[in-house]
Amino acid sequence: MEGPANTLTYLIAGFAVIFGIMLIYLVSLLSRWNNLRKDAELLKELEKKE
Amino acid sequence: MNQVTPFLRALSAVVWKDLAAEWRSREMLSAMLVFALLVILIFNFALELDPVGRANITAGILWVTFTFAGTLGLNRSMAVEKDRGCLDGLLLAPVDRTAIYFGKALANWIFMLSVAVIVLPVYSILYNINLFQPGLLLVILLGSEGYVAVGTLLSTMTVQTRTREILLPILLFPIVIPVVVAAVKASGNFLAGLEMAEIQPWLNLLIVYDVVFTAVSFMVFDAVVEE
Amino acid sequence: MTAQPTTLKILTVVTVLMLAAATLMVILYAPLEAVMGQVQKVFYFHVASGWTGMLGFFVAFVAGIVYLITHKRIWDIVGVAGVEIGLVFMLICIITGSIWARPIWNTWWTWDPRLTTATIMELVYAAYLMLRQGVEDPDRRARFGAVYAIIGFLSVPLTFFSIRIFRTIHPVVIGGGDSDATGSFDMTAKMLQTFMFSLATFSVLFVTLLWHRIRMGKFADQLEQLKMKLLA
Repeated sequence: MEGPANTLTYLIAGFAVIFGIMLIYLVSLLSRWNNLRKDAELLKELEKKE
Repeated sequence: MNQVTPFLRALSAVVWKDLAAEWRSREMLSAMLVFALLVILIFNFALELDPVGRANITAGILWVTFTFAGTLGLNRSMAVEKDRGCLDGLLLAPVDRTAIYFGKALANWIFMLSVAVIVLPVYSILYNINLFQPGLLLVILLGSEGYVAVGTLLSTMTVQTRTREILLPILLFPIVIPVVVAAVKASGNFLAGLEMAEIQPWLNLLIVYDVVFTAVSFMVFDAVVEE
Repeated sequence: MTAQPTTLKILTVVTVLMLAAATLMVILYAPLEAVMGQVQKVFYFHVASGWTGMLGFFVAFVAGIVYLITHKRIWDIVGVAGVEIGLVFMLICIITGSIWARPIWNTWWTWDPRLTTATIMELVYAAYLMLRQGVEDPDRRARFGAVYAIIGFLSVPLTFFSIRIFRTIHPVVIGGGDSDATGSFDMTAKMLQTFMFSLATFSVLFVTLLWHRIRMGKFADQLEQLKMKLLA
């Protein structure tokens, strides 16, 4: 038995995909939340003017 | 018992309206037909096959043709309602909404079967294969029912969106994959003359799909047409 | 928008810790598989992601039903959150499935029933988002979303079975005898523990993300209503 194949590169690629995609999603969530907060402030200004 | 007759009357009214309207203009049917024949033509050149190879994929070509032509019919059937304001008119009528659903679905089914009625002999002639086998006809009946059951529900939604025609295939195709898989396998097996035991699982799958999705579709139909 | 409830803050911290622990467990604790080598370790998070993807779609399914019955906005928000998160994790599952297949079967794609069904589900839920984008009226958008989430989820078992039967009759040429177990291997005790912990971690991760996403959805909804009031 020659022992397990050397597939380390694929493992690294796999983890890169897993954490990469999760990170992208997190960033998208954070940026969307930021936009909402800016909109909220804008709307509060508008409300005060009325 | 009193509730059945108005329901059936409404249903047949919807079906009859669609059939009569289509018979007068024949726009949709001719479009579906020409489209189907063109698809077969394109396949002829795209997949250059000898008779043996062709026998293997006849089922596939037929169902791809039906799937795409079916989308045309579904889109058109609903677009006509919306554009002429018939949909709103129908909804104002004091009729059970599900009668409208079954009426439209039945009409769509008839249209799809009409396409099959013409495609089958044409294909048979072009490729010298006898497609008029009861098994194949059964599969076409079952497969198109499931397709049309979901398609009618989804096209009712998409006709109310901005993107309309483009959206229907995107919504419909992933959902009808079980129908396509089962129909192609069952059709192919019938054409190859395999035993019933081999074909049975596919027919069962088609029947289950038809029952489940017809039931679910008419149950939720109300939600897609209320104002 | 009200501040984050303490429970959520704690949950978020727990999630991060569990994720770190699970990763360490996969890398250090789980043993090396005899034939496939290191890439087999992708399996733990691959399955866990698939599980999370299914959870998301299931949540959307239930939320859809409840919305159609109650017509309360919150259920629409829950539905979208479920689909979004499901989409993200199902994507992770599909891509890692491909990465796993490559060194083992020497192909990027094996048409395995589970992975193929996962891809079809991914397309269904992408279609869900496209459907919603095409509808202006919020109530109609919610109703259509609910209907499609229900239909989409129900199609999954049928799709899976149709492909599975398809495959037992036409076994895959590449990929060995048992096409059902994508790279089958027997799990030792340590592997099983790592596997279960990964599942648990991703489940917690799902709940945390869902909660955050729902909060964001409620916030966005409030702003929409405020906008309509002010600009009316």
